[in-house]
Amino acid sequence: MSNAEAMVFVIDDDESMREALKSLIRSVGLRVETFASAQEFLESRRPNVAACLILDVRMPGLSGLDLQRDLVERNIHIPIIFITGHGDIPMSVRAMKAGAVEFLTKPFRDQDLLDAIQQALDRDRLARSHQAETAELHHRYQSLTPRESEVFGLVVKGLLNKQIALQLGTSEITIKLHRRQVMEKMDAASLADLVRMAERLSK
Amino acid sequence: MRKLWRYGIAVVTVGAALLITKSLEQYTDITPLFYAAIVISAWFGGMGPGLLAVVLATVALDYYFIPPLYTLRPDLKQISFLLVFGILAVLTSWMSAKRKRTQEALREARDELELRVEERTAELRQANESLRERGEALQEVQTELAHVTRVMTLGELTASIAHEVNQPLAAIVTNGNACLRWLGGASPNLTEARQAVDRIIKDSYRASAVISRVRTLVKKAPARSDLVDLNDVILEVLALAESEARRNHVLLKQQLAGDLPFVHGDRVQLQQVILNLIINGLESIAKSNSGSRELSISSTKDEANNVVVAVRDSGDGLDPANLQRVFDAFFTTKADGMGMGLAISRTIIESHGGRLWATTNAQKGAVFQFTIPVDGESAT
Repeated sequence: MSNAEAMVFVIDDDESMREALKSLIRSVGLRVETFASAQEFLESRRPNVAACLILDVRMPGLSGLDLQRDLVERNIHIPIIFITGHGDIPMSVRAMKAGAVEFLTKPFRDQDLLDAIQQALDRDRLARSHQAETAELHHRYQSLTPRESEVFGLVVKGLLNKQIALQLGTSEITIKLHRRQVMEKMDAASLADLVRMAERLSK
Repeated sequence: MRKLWRYGIAVVTVGAALLITKSLEQYTDITPLFYAAIVISAWFGGMGPGLLAVVLATVALDYYFIPPLYTLRPDLKQISFLLVFGILAVLTSWMSAKRKRTQEALREARDELELRVEERTAELRQANESLRERGEALQEVQTELAHVTRVMTLGELTASIAHEVNQPLAAIVTNGNACLRWLGGASPNLTEARQAVDRIIKDSYRASAVISRVRTLVKKAPARSDLVDLNDVILEVLALAESEARRNHVLLKQQLAGDLPFVHGDRVQLQQVILNLIINGLESIAKSNSGSRELSISSTKDEANNVVVAVRDSGDGLDPANLQRVFDAFFTTKADGMGMGLAISRTIIESHGGRLWATTNAQKGAVFQFTIPVDGESAT
């Protein structure tokens, strides 16, 4: 995926800083949208594209760290790059532990910020494709019949067809048919592939 | 001795009058020199010597000039002359003595007046001097207080300044980088680059303005821990604020709890906070032009064992949206304000374990109040 679609959000209460960041980010060909407060950002409609957030820690109202927690609570996953005028170590540790991509102290080197943005966008893309894959797996799993689901569960536990047939009170031939059906519907190339899918589905 | 001298004047002057008149008898009237002797005697000697001169002059006239000569038994015809002379002589003597006494009383009064004027002048000069000294002392206290405002807050101040200056600097750096990127590459975007440079210039002025705002502020005083009677502190501060209140036609009121416990703290810092709240209140009232012009300060103790000091003004009050923001460093609604006073005050109060907050007054204006906890051992 390219940067063309990606979006960078900037939240900073200082207008000069917003303008400067906007210009810098646009100069490398990225799309950018700025907000003066966390509330403004939360109220905005965001396009469903790879994105990251550049967030000032110290703002009136909802602070950057508050917003980070808020987003997690709302199940909104967007990589965050913190920028701060006077970051202390406990603050940056807190931010990083809560999943921030980077914690930059103003003034920062432009390359550091741009690298962080790239990293954040990559992370978001990965998360998005991962999410899409998982959604696809769930979709496939939903297409299984109840009996196929049962067979699926027992197969990935490592049981042989004979054992499964015994447990479900049916013939080994029937289980073989179900099993082929499961492999086909789940689009699994091998037993190992199917086990890996089962793991992701159970998360 | 002095008395003898006074009566001697009468004898000498009448004797002289007698000698001169006798020797010039055919050229002159006989009475004028005797009158003169009586006037002189009464003038210099007083009423007594004056009367003695009258008696001596009457006897001398009768004996030496009134026929039959050289006897004390006057001719019947001459008695009326002697009688008239005697009465006139007594009157003359009385008037002369009285005149003299009046003059002397006047002079005495004048002397006394002069003396008293001198005394009063000296007293005034002294009073002036001590007033001047007190004025100087007051000024010193004020200077010291003003100094403290700028001082103790160094920590807060540097953090605020750092933030205020760093903000435009960060924007400048970012704009600079953006500008270089707009200029680089195959097709430089001059419009974007120019806009970035414009923002750099604007932010440079902004940083410079912050610096000039804070240039006046400096230094540091270590916080002390005294046992402080906040009522005392309030009264001291009220005394300091009095002239400012009068200048703005504001009535200062106080409601101080009689049994206020002592608190632990830095007396000067607490003075600073209270003065700051009062001056803010006065400025708010000065800006407002309606209604009562009143500022009241109260002290009480609450159930949680805190001393509570409240300053209420009848100014225009606070915008509810600003109730919190007024405590932010560099937040100000005053044209010439630094926006540091309340931020500093809150820092001071919090360093004393208390709280400082603002509310709107039920009737009109704002209420700023703070608490300071009374710790058990320091309570009295």
